[in-house]
Amino acid sequence: MKKKMLISALAVMLVAGVLMSGSYAAASDGIVGYAVEAYQDEDIPIGSSNEVTMVGTVEPTIMSVTMPTYVPFHISRSVQGDNKVISPRINIINNSSIPVSLDVVYTAVDLSRLPGAAWAIGPVVDSNQIAIGLQPESLANQMPTTLEQTRWLVDNMAQNVNIISLSAYDSSAIYVVGTLGSAVPENESFTVTPTFVVREA
Amino acid sequence: MKETARTTRKKWVLPACAAGVALLLAAGAYFFAMRGPDDSLELADNATMGVLPGIDLAQRQAELQALLDESMIAFSINTSPVFASGSSEGNLMLENPENNAKLLVVEIYRDDTGEMIYQSKALPVGSYIENVALDKVLDPGEYPATAYFKGYREDDHSYIGQAGAAINISVLS
Repeated sequence: MKKKMLISALAVMLVAGVLMSGSYAAASDGIVGYAVEAYQDEDIPIGSSNEVTMVGTVEPTIMSVTMPTYVPFHISRSVQGDNKVISPRINIINNSSIPVSLDVVYTAVDLSRLPGAAWAIGPVVDSNQIAIGLQPESLANQMPTTLEQTRWLVDNMAQNVNIISLSAYDSSAIYVVGTLGSAVPENESFTVTPTFVVREA
Repeated sequence: MKETARTTRKKWVLPACAAGVALLLAAGAYFFAMRGPDDSLELADNATMGVLPGIDLAQRQAELQALLDESMIAFSINTSPVFASGSSEGNLMLENPENNAKLLVVEIYRDDTGEMIYQSKALPVGSYIENVALDKVLDPGEYPATAYFKGYREDDHSYIGQAGAAINISVLS
């Protein structure tokens, strides 16, 4: 009876020892359990073959950008040059590892506080018209004075105008530009709200 | 003794008189310089001292720049989220980065129908949502869509503006 109990106890201790040594080996390598199971590690005799499973995971493509939600600007006939808009420097930053492009998909325009004024797709405007667009920065930290290379905004209808393209981890600046006719009333405000959409280039 | 005191007093009288005359001359010159024009032109009492606002181009641009900085929005999103089925969760991976300083609400619209298929609650600054289930159950297929990130001020929750990201949603079964 005593012998039987001793043998049973020894068997339990043996199993426990084997289990503990296995988990210790995994932990001491700093590898978690599932990783141990995922890899095959065995000797292959010379002249024989073996199958090795390679597990690949497709990482999702994350787009990460910094861009404006609205753009304040002033427009005045007294500004020198063809461009009559005073614009902040709009810096677009691509924080992701993929190239992206920035488009304007819609522009809401409200000229109701400018009686008689109308919208135009520049650069040529009639005396009662206003035209606004966006232009990439050509000279560092300088507002454009001309209207060349301007992407003109279309009022209150869907459009798909590419404004700028950025490489991975790149940044670039754009400015609001525009012009207005001589009969557009002054000293009143109007709103132009472009909707910017960034997409994988 | 008396003679000595008189001599000393005499010594001080002359410089004191000279100083008094000089003081009078200086005061006269000051009041002459400070007197107004002879005509009766009145100064405007509603005039504000300083440069007329709007004249300084650089200052106006700096004011606009401050407004623009508040409007800038940073966000991250998976461009190709995959949903195992129309009702299961998918890896949309929305992020409101730490440097954003505004709350973000995300709305996703199908490009073909314009239907809103997902709306998040407000994401606090420095947070993310990895997996979400869409609000509408979609049939298996590919769905080009646009995710609009709407920015709100942290203090009073007032609306700032929105920016969009084009994505392609895959529903497998």
